[in-house]
Parts: sequence; structure tokens; C-alpha cells
Amino acid sequence: MESMASAAIFYGVAVLVLGSALYVVVGKNLVHSAFALVAAFFGVAVFYVYLGADFLAGAQVLIYVGGILTLLLFGVMLTNRIYNLNLRSGAIQVVPGALSAGLVFALLVWIIQSVDWGAMDAGDPGPTSESIGRLLVGDYLLPFEIASVLLLIALMGAAMLVRRRGSGSS
Amino acid sequence: MSDALQSLPRFLPELILMAALAVVIVADLLTQRRPLQNSTDLLNGITLVGLVGALVTSWQALGAGEAQSLFASMLADDGLLGVFRPIFCLTSIVVLLLGMRSKELEGVRLGEMLALLLTVTAALMWMAGSVNLVMIYLSLETVSVASYLMVGYLSSDRLSNEASLKYILFGAVSTGAMLFGLSLLYGMTGTLDLYGVRAALAEGAFGPGLLFVLILIAAGIGFKIAAAPFHFWCPDVYTGAPTPVTAFLSVGPKAAGFAVLIRFFYLGLAEPAGGGAIAPVGGADWQMLLMMLAVITMTLGNVAALLQTNVKRLLAYSSIAHAGTMLMAACVLSVEGVQAIAAYLAIYLFMNLGAFAVVILAHRVTGSFEIDSYAGFWKRSPLLTVAMGIFLFSLMGIPPFAGFLAKWYVFAAVINAGLGWLAVIGVLNAAVAAFYYVKVLRVMVIDQEIGPTPALAFSRLDLALLVVLVVPNVLGLLFWGSLDRVTEVSQTLLELG
Repeated sequence: MESMASAAIFYGVAVLVLGSALYVVVGKNLVHSAFALVAAFFGVAVFYVYLGADFLAGAQVLIYVGGILTLLLFGVMLTNRIYNLNLRSGAIQVVPGALSAGLVFALLVWIIQSVDWGAMDAGDPGPTSESIGRLLVGDYLLPFEIASVLLLIALMGAAMLVRRRGSGSS
Repeated sequence: MSDALQSLPRFLPELILMAALAVVIVADLLTQRRPLQNSTDLLNGITLVGLVGALVTSWQALGAGEAQSLFASMLADDGLLGVFRPIFCLTSIVVLLLGMRSKELEGVRLGEMLALLLTVTAALMWMAGSVNLVMIYLSLETVSVASYLMVGYLSSDRLSNEASLKYILFGAVSTGAMLFGLSLLYGMTGTLDLYGVRAALAEGAFGPGLLFVLILIAAGIGFKIAAAPFHFWCPDVYTGAPTPVTAFLSVGPKAAGFAVLIRFFYLGLAEPAGGGAIAPVGGADWQMLLMMLAVITMTLGNVAALLQTNVKRLLAYSSIAHAGTMLMAACVLSVEGVQAIAAYLAIYLFMNLGAFAVVILAHRVTGSFEIDSYAGFWKRSPLLTVAMGIFLFSLMGIPPFAGFLAKWYVFAAVINAGLGWLAVIGVLNAAVAAFYYVKVLRVMVIDQEIGPTPALAFSRLDLALLVVLVVPNVLGLLFWGSLDRVTEVSQTLLELG
């Protein structure tokens, strides 16, 4: 009974994620699309909970839903004439696009069915933040530091682009 | 933690680059109110010191000491990384000097550009050293993000912006495909470590599923080396980017992409089969995949280059063709192929950066990148015409020049591996390539110029730069000695792990 309910929630969330992600792509209104993205990100957080990744689920909500999306919405709302904006979201080459997407989908389904993924039961989920923290300053110290370099130049680059545009000179 | 501390001495070139990065950022902030020229000179000086420091330390590290894994098996400090580090440092130094002489970058604050150059140089080294799927992705992404910003640096220039946007879109799709492929590979093998991947793949046959995963990952690597059919960004980005950045993209990320390709396929998807040869594991025929890529890339690059009228576009397609030639050597499945790629890249650095140096110096007087604008260059500046001739003949692979040596290494490796048909396609391509390189020279020497002829004046820096780039191309045979050292060191590649 419990697994039935669990499966029902899982598939419900899956439909929500796919539906809202689809709306983000085909939607004509930027604000509506941004709100649909909230639902998609939130659904992904639920999947993390299902996988026993508590820290990731929390980070997903805090960073994507709380941080990035709020910024995105602010950006959209502070932009003038956003409602008049006629979004052109692709209607060229529908047939080849659909064909290649369908082909890739069929391939993926087939691979996921045919490969032995070596899946195992993880047992009862426990808190993961401690082991993640240890790995970040242990085995994964170098990737952690490189990620900070990547963020540093991304930050600099963003500032560079915005400032140049603003001052209007090169 | 002790492992990280022990790794630090072997990590010296990257540490020097990161220190220079910090100094450049602070110096840029402190000199914001100073006159532009003073500030630019200071920042160029700091960057040059950092890059030369990294070059010296990486040259000293070349071949010194046993191969060793660093930072809990994230990087491998072995012959392959040893060979590629000086290549990256040299590329960045030449690009820095080209940047000082480029008309496009005059009067522009260069602080961020120099910080990006230092970061990307270190990130190329991380790419070449990665033996972990996370590290491969992260270093590749760092190179990509820095490259996008460098391409779009002239934000008042519409072409530069357009190039940057195209680069980001193509980059996002191909790294997305690659990341998806890496995650499927992780699911199949249960490990992120390349040696672990090899061990897991050796146990079971994954067949066509694995091949699909490899195609996804090849999309990410192919994007970096500009191999067809992942090359669509290349001509537009090369044309729109500031020319020193174009010169950098045509050598640095391409070289690092090949390092990742070698590591991923030769270490992660194959096991040593004795005598320097390797045998694929996991039941996926990736040799065929690489051969197809090589043939498509070479042919498409060379044929498309025939039609170009813009010299930057021409060099873009020529760099695609060269990537195809090097991909041929990657199909060899032995350490000989790795040596051929390393040798090719070391020579390609001088000939390709040389051609771009001439393009940048010519742009100072002509203000144009059209091949037609080079008409009558022989009368204006015999020196520049001769230099361009040497670089182009070297790119063609004509005997007295170093480019011949590069091609010879590749074809010898391919023929020794019994891939005669591939070598034949390669030779046919080299013949096609001669057409468009000669076309540029014909315009420079034979065509009559139209309109006034501004005098060409070289600074001491220009002359020094040309000499540094010309000498290795002319003295190809003397270059043999240092190539032997390069190939000797890359022998150690397949021994680690």
C-alpha cells in the first residue's frame, strides 16, 4: 500500500516536471514560462528526496527555486515591454526535429532497458551532508577549488559584460 | 589532506598561474584611475612573468621524476601532462604578445582579458591531466566559460558579440550532451575514476549502448577540438573574435581537447596490450568512430577552406582540417599515435600562431581580413610575405619546413598501424589543402594592389615575435632533437595505473 502511494506520488511529480518543462519551452509568455520553471525545479527536488539525497534536495530548492529563479523573475519583471514581447519559440523544421528527438528518445529507452546498471538497494536513507562535506575537503578538494576558480571568472565576466554595456564605451 | 600537500610541488606551474591571476585582479583594481597605457603595460608585464614562470617550471618538470597521481587520483602528472604543459604556456605567451600588437585591442582595458588568459591556461593543464570524469567535465567547462568571455570581449563590436553568443549556444548543447554521456558511463561502471571505468568495462560487454554513450562524449570533445560534425561554431567564432583570441582558440583548447581524447579513450576505454599497443575494452568499436570523425573532419575542413575569401575563416577551416589529421593519429591505438599527436601539436603551435601573427600585423596597415586586401604585399613588405610563405608552406607540410615533420610523424604512425586507406585519404587531403594555402600566397606575390600603399613599419617586438615563430618552422630538422625528448616522455603515458 505504501509503495503504491509512493509510486503514485512519483509519477504525479514526473508528469508535473515534464508538463511544466514543456510549457517553459513552448510558452509564449515569458513570465508564465518562468513560473512553470519553478514547478519543474521543485519537482526535481522531490526526485532527489526519492533518491535519499537530502542535501541535494535542499540545495535544489534553496539555489534553483529560491535563488536563480527569483533573480530570473526579477530580471523579467524589471524589463520594459515584457508583456508585449512576441516570443518566437521555434516552429521551423518541426518534422526533422520531431524525428531526431524521437530517434534519440527511442535509443535512450532501449539503452536504459538493455544495460545492466548494477542498481542496488541503498537501504534506509540517512543524512548525507556530513559525508558530502568530508569528500569536498578530502578526495574532491581539487574539483572544489577549480569550481571556485570557475565561479570567480564567471563573476568577473558577468561584471565585465554589464559594465561595458552600461558605460557604452569600449 | 596529506595527499593534497604532497601533490603541491608537482602542481607548481598551475600554482604560479593562479598566483599571477590573483595579482592581476588586484593590480587591475588598483590602477583603474591611472592612464590606460601605464596600467596595460603593468598588467601585461605581470601576466608575462606568470606565464614565463609556468613555462620554466613545466619545462623543468618535463621528464623529471616518476609518473604520479595527484590530489586523490584527480590528475595524473605523467608524460602526457608533461608534454602538454609547455605547449599551453608557449601558446599563451605568444598570444599575449600578439595581443599587445593587435589593432583590435588598442585602447581597450585588458585587465579581465589577461585574468581570463591566465585562468584558461591553468584550466587547459587541468584538462590535460584529468583522469576523473568530474575533473574532465569541470576543467573543460572552465576553459569553455573563459573562452566565451574572451571571444565576446569587444562588447561594442557586433561581430564579437554574435560570435560569443553562437559559441555559448553550441558549447551549452555539446557540453550538455557530453555530461549526459558521462552520467550514463558512471551509471554503467559505478565509478568516476578512469582506471576504475576501464576495470569495470573489462569485466562485461556493453556493446551498442556504450557506443551511444561514447558518441555523446565525443560531441563534447569534438566541440573543443573543432572536429566535424561538431565544428559549426568554428568559422563564425574565429571570424568574430578579436584575432589574438582566435589564434589562442585555434591552438590551446584544441591541444587540450586532444589530451582529453587520448586520456579518455586510451586510458579509460582500453587496456595495455603489450609493446605500447592498446586494446579497446567494453565491446564498443570506438576506433571506427574516431576514424569516421577523422575522415569527415579532414575532408570537410579542406573542401570548405577552398571557398573562403576571409583569411580568418580560411584559417578556421584549415584548423578543422588539421584537427582531422591529428584524429587520424588517434586511431592508431598505440603509444606511437600519442607521440605523433604530441609532436604535431608542438609544431602546429608555431606554424598556426605564425600565420595569425602575420594576419594581425597585416591588419595594422590594411585594416582588413579579406584575402584580396593582401594584393601586392610582396612589394610593400617582402619580410612579412616571406614569413607568411614559410608559415603556409609549413602548414601545407612541404619538406624543408617543420610542418613536413609533423605530417611525417602522423602518416608513419598510421601506416605502421596497417591503416593504409586512412593514410591515402590523408595524403589526398593534404594535396587539396595546398590549393588554398597557395591561393593566399598567390594574392600576396602576384596580384597587383589597387589604391594607395601605406608603408609597413615593424616594432622591435614584431620582429622578435616573427623570428621566434619562423625559426622553429625553418629549422625543422634541428627541431628533431627536442621532439625526441617529447616523444620519449610520452612513452610513460600508458605505464601509469
